[in-house]
Amino acid sequence: MVKDRNSFILRLLSTLFVILAINFFLPRMMPGDPFSTTSADEVGEEIIVMTEEQRLYYLNYYGLDRPLHEQFLGYMKNLMKGDLGRSIYYKMPVRDVIMLHLPWTVLIVVGATIISTISGVVLGTLSAKNRKKGSDRLMMMGMISFAEIPSFLLGLILLLVFSVHLRLFPLAGAVTPFADYNGPAEQAWDILYHASLPIVTLSLSQLTGVYLLTRNTLITVTTKDYIRTARAKGLGENTVWIRHALRNALLPVVTRTGFMIGIMMGGVVLVESVFSYPGIGMTLRSAVVGRDYPLIQGILLVIAVSILICNLLVDKIYGKLDPRVVI
Amino acid sequence: MIKDIAASGNAGILSFIQALNINRIVSSKAKTFSRFSTIAKPFSRFSTEGKIGVLGILCIILMAVFAPVITICPPQKITGDSLEPPGPGHILGTDELGMDIWSQICYGARMSLTIGLAVAILSGFGGGAVGILAGYMGGHIDKALMRIIDVTMALPSFPLLIVISAFLGPSILNVIFILVLFSWAKPARIARSQTLSLKKNNYIIAARNYGAKPFYLLWRHIFPEVMPVLLVLVIGISSHAIIAEAGLAFLGLGDPTSKSWGMMLNHATGFRSIYFTPYWQWWLLPPLFMLIFLLLCLAFISRDMERILDPKLKIKKGF
Repeated sequence: MVKDRNSFILRLLSTLFVILAINFFLPRMMPGDPFSTTSADEVGEEIIVMTEEQRLYYLNYYGLDRPLHEQFLGYMKNLMKGDLGRSIYYKMPVRDVIMLHLPWTVLIVVGATIISTISGVVLGTLSAKNRKKGSDRLMMMGMISFAEIPSFLLGLILLLVFSVHLRLFPLAGAVTPFADYNGPAEQAWDILYHASLPIVTLSLSQLTGVYLLTRNTLITVTTKDYIRTARAKGLGENTVWIRHALRNALLPVVTRTGFMIGIMMGGVVLVESVFSYPGIGMTLRSAVVGRDYPLIQGILLVIAVSILICNLLVDKIYGKLDPRVVI
Repeated sequence: MIKDIAASGNAGILSFIQALNINRIVSSKAKTFSRFSTIAKPFSRFSTEGKIGVLGILCIILMAVFAPVITICPPQKITGDSLEPPGPGHILGTDELGMDIWSQICYGARMSLTIGLAVAILSGFGGGAVGILAGYMGGHIDKALMRIIDVTMALPSFPLLIVISAFLGPSILNVIFILVLFSWAKPARIARSQTLSLKKNNYIIAARNYGAKPFYLLWRHIFPEVMPVLLVLVIGISSHAIIAEAGLAFLGLGDPTSKSWGMMLNHATGFRSIYFTPYWQWWLLPPLFMLIFLLLCLAFISRDMERILDPKLKIKKGF
């Protein structure tokens, strides 16, 4: 078990290292350097805006003439200090730009995680209880077909139906522009109102996984002896299901939640673009369009690190929940 | 005397095994084909959904292949007024530049299908081959490969896809290359574990003891066994690739010189205040509908194939 754990942490660390390396080497693999292509429109078209001497001076100034491994060490050192460079478009440190937009993404990802986990577990339990009846089969079919639609297409459909056609929800943004709020309750309501469609989209895209997992684990769990014992003791059907069966069936769901956050952090870029929601996904899109490389790298790093942290947390929580797993 | 009997007994058993083996070799050629046909044959065993899926995919393929025949206007030329509603001249109307939407849909099918097919074949069979080789050889190569696979599977693929294609620049080849880079790990891992369990089978050990070369063993005995699993995976990979391509194009990272469904979504949603006009009804809906239709068809087929091949494969669903 100890060995297993070590290899788990080793895997996380090596993943982090690969991401850092990609982040570091990609811009350096591109043709040209920052001082010769700053005003060129096309890749490969080089407009020399400074003399050779000036160029060498700036290369030296930014440390780009040093050997790669030294540059890499310097890059790592800056990262440790939390310095991600300066955004070209926003003209401020990348860290501040990310801090400005990250809360919105956290809001919708956490909201979607909570909603999809709870509703997935509830629906899965209902489905497992009514196994081999029409309602279970219908639910299965619907859920599985649903899962095949990627989240951004689902988001577009929801946007078209609820915002464009029915005009129930806002089309874009996270708050009503230029709004005057009478107190924090109204502000919270406005934020929730704008976040609802993105949250619903993300949770719908993850719902099926939780639902299937809960249903299938419950069905295996209910064949166990201790469930029969519980029934034989004369416990009520609800107590058996909730306190004995569901409790044990929830363990894999916890692991799934960690993965879910990872998948959602990837999908959130597209979903935020659909709803023009100002989280880091939308920022990533605009950074890509504006070729704001430091910002792109910073956001990638934040997404990757948050996914790895989630995996680590899930591993820790799982150890706490299930005493059979020895840490 | 006893020795003799033992020897003759041995010889008998040996010749018996040999006969079996010859039989196997003779039938192996037919078998390779019959394995393919066990996958192609069971159209009758497909459920209604599966049949719908196959027919739907066929329709889309026909649409893509015969795009020049079934469209009147070329997709990249301005043939009408800007934003014409659907009418006799343009079946599905035109976009903001006055290009025909129906022909964009037909030609866009080519893009989605090409990406899906290319990525699926390259990473499915390439990754499968890598996995089979690693599983067969074992040792350090296998261990190193497993490490690489672990890391590749733990990488956040879509954000990385966005970043790499932002840096490498948008072109079909780049998109295919990046997608393959992120999707070969799963087939490799499954092919490896299958090979590991197959390798212990007696008939393979017997074949090796008869002097079968590794390449022969891999091609004749192991590959045909792993093949069905790979085929199911390939369908899953292709739908992932189609989603990823559409997503990248939707973000504006697709190949700007070609028209794909994702690009159409990108142009339509990028159009200022499209939601306050009726334009979205004929500009945004067709590519959206086509993408969902294609993905659902693929999903139906892959689920049916999984069901048909089920006794032979144990892919863990989900993650």
